[in-house]
Amino acid sequence: MSRNDRSMPFTLPSPLHEPPTPMTQFMEQQNVPGTPNIQTPQPSSSLMPPPSAPPPSHIFATPSPAPGHQPPAAPLASPSPLAGQSSSGANPYTNPVSPRTPLSASTAESMGIIPQLQNIVSTVTLGCKLDLKDIALRARNAEYNPKRFAAVIMRIRDPRTTALVFSSGKMVCTGAKSEDFSRLAARKYARIIQKLGFPAKFLEFKIQNMVGSCDVKFPIRLEGLVVAHSQFSSYEPELFPGLIYRMVRPRIVLLIFVSGKVVLTGAKERSQIIEAFNNIYPILKNFKKTT
Amino acid sequence: MSYELYRHTTLGVCLQDALDEMIGTQQINPQLALRVLKQFDKSVGKALSSRVRTRYNFKGKLKTYRYCDNVWTCLVQDVELKETQAADVVQVNKVKIVACDANNSSSAASKAAKS
Repeated sequence: MSRNDRSMPFTLPSPLHEPPTPMTQFMEQQNVPGTPNIQTPQPSSSLMPPPSAPPPSHIFATPSPAPGHQPPAAPLASPSPLAGQSSSGANPYTNPVSPRTPLSASTAESMGIIPQLQNIVSTVTLGCKLDLKDIALRARNAEYNPKRFAAVIMRIRDPRTTALVFSSGKMVCTGAKSEDFSRLAARKYARIIQKLGFPAKFLEFKIQNMVGSCDVKFPIRLEGLVVAHSQFSSYEPELFPGLIYRMVRPRIVLLIFVSGKVVLTGAKERSQIIEAFNNIYPILKNFKKTT
Repeated sequence: MSYELYRHTTLGVCLQDALDEMIGTQQINPQLALRVLKQFDKSVGKALSSRVRTRYNFKGKLKTYRYCDNVWTCLVQDVELKETQAADVVQVNKVKIVACDANNSSSAASKAAKS
């Protein structure tokens, strides 16, 4: 499936390096401060050991202050074995973690669009038993209804997140828009628990799920896509209006809608979302609605 | 048993003062005073649900909230209270709302509401 579909974009002229809509892109960037985004190849290039030389400057089409954003991203987007495989594997073209110049064409092709992270779910262990009722009575913005759910539901405004605190001392933090915000929020919750007098620590922080979304800005023939990619897709418009695409590598589930909006979920790392979108974008282009 | 929420209203406080005085002058005994207060709790609840027609709408910024023991506690800031019929608007800096389930009243809930 992929070979033919994907080879198409590379025949396109290189001016596509320039994002088609630099203005909107810039605005998106503004909306999500602190997100090391825009230039997909960049975080990866920082991951590569020094010998890989300074990244070719021409792939940084937009005047993004990405280097400033990079440090927080680097430890999080650690090169997964998966990414390493695929860069040396059959289809390196779609791999965003490859800084090599000729290959950046594929990333450049979908470069105008970069999936924006919408939700991060993380867990952390506080390392002590907790009296939930005590927490609910003394903490602000807490809900505790043991009849319905065995955890205290707590919220903070900055970063706007919700946490579930369990009596075992485990905590789930949801709603953050980036890895760093999720961690920061989890730390804030841990601090709140600490202030209530529990010997809370901050152990085993882990990002469990990431959700990204974006808009390819053209309508998609889902009926065609589901036939061509029946192995990965399920499309039941009577049950759900989107096509569910279960990508195997990276293991990401994509919800693809007629409108051209795409939701990517199931990622443990940002790079997986970007990789999955770079994989799917050429495919979607093939199923662009022509009316 | 009904909520002891309304003992802190002006009416409730006055009643308690009066009862205390009567106990002091030995006109009634404390058990009777307690019974009167219990009846007061019940009657206020009934009166508010059946006899009061006035309704207020209010709008403000929710600062903090809490839900524990079936009681919602909300701290609202910059509240605008409006009576549905009348045109007058009451502006208040801070309002604390304590809301309990009207259908089931447990003693735990009323205790939490008081504190």
